[in-house]
Amino acid sequence: MPRYELALILKAMQRLETAATLRRTVETLMERGAVVRDMENLGERVLPYIMTKHNQRHRRGSYFLIDFYAAPSILTGLLDHLHRDVDVVRPTVLKKDTQISKQTCRGPQQ
Amino acid sequence: MLQALGNRGVQVARLLAPRHTVLVEAVRGRKSRTDPVAKSKQGRIKVPPPVDPVEMVVLRERYTEYKLIMRALRLEFKEEVLRKKYEEETGSMAEERARQEAVEHRDLMVWNEQENRRLLQLRILRLQKETEEAERKELEVALQREQEQEEFIRRKEEEVMQLQEEAKNFITLENLDQRIEEVLDNPKNYNFAIDKEGRAVKQTVLQ
Repeated sequence: MPRYELALILKAMQRLETAATLRRTVETLMERGAVVRDMENLGERVLPYIMTKHNQRHRRGSYFLIDFYAAPSILTGLLDHLHRDVDVVRPTVLKKDTQISKQTCRGPQQ
Repeated sequence: MLQALGNRGVQVARLLAPRHTVLVEAVRGRKSRTDPVAKSKQGRIKVPPPVDPVEMVVLRERYTEYKLIMRALRLEFKEEVLRKKYEEETGSMAEERARQEAVEHRDLMVWNEQENRRLLQLRILRLQKETEEAERKELEVALQREQEQEEFIRRKEEEVMQLQEEAKNFITLENLDQRIEEVLDNPKNYNFAIDKEGRAVKQTVLQ
């Protein structure tokens, strides 16, 4: 299965609510047959610009990264679901690169 | 008939006729048989040219002699030609020549046979070598392919083992709460600053 990364921007909330949202998200993923590999927290930060979602304007948000393995067919459904989630400001699914070549990168040969 | 052909026809008739005939032909010219005779030619009696008997006799003798000699010469020459041809086909030299040719032919055939046999040997050797080469190459190729397959299997197995190892760290429904707590406790920061010497500063201000 190909490997994806969900870059999630959540509303600036209390820890409990954030935990609940994360739990909800991971359970959704698992329901749709994904295997969640790892999760990372990039902290609660000022957003680079004001993002409007669900009739709310957000200045701060918490960034999370979720690695997972999934079938490509679930992605549209998943994104649809995440867009409808009120606590999620912006969901983004990216494909993870499979292998970085181990050769050292030289510049243009003179 | 001849008036229809015209003058060229006359010359052709002269060539085609045998040598001893006298060339006399009736040439009608412009008028046909039924036309009346011309006024200037009324009462004309055609008289053949006068013949001098003495001259005729002399000429006849001379001509007969001449013709005899010419005929004899011609026949002689014809005979010579025929004889030469006959001798070439069935003369004494012809047999010898035929025999020699037969001998030569046999020698050449023998030589040809030998050459063929020699080349056959060489060809057999060459073909053998080629088949051996081909077999060897095939074996090599098969060996190579097997090695590659083994390599591939090995690599895949390594990947599988690695994945199995990593699978122990995946998030499951049981780990979920614990992992969420861990995640919320450890924010990770990927930003860093770098200067011209290449030193990286990982500690940055997180707003």
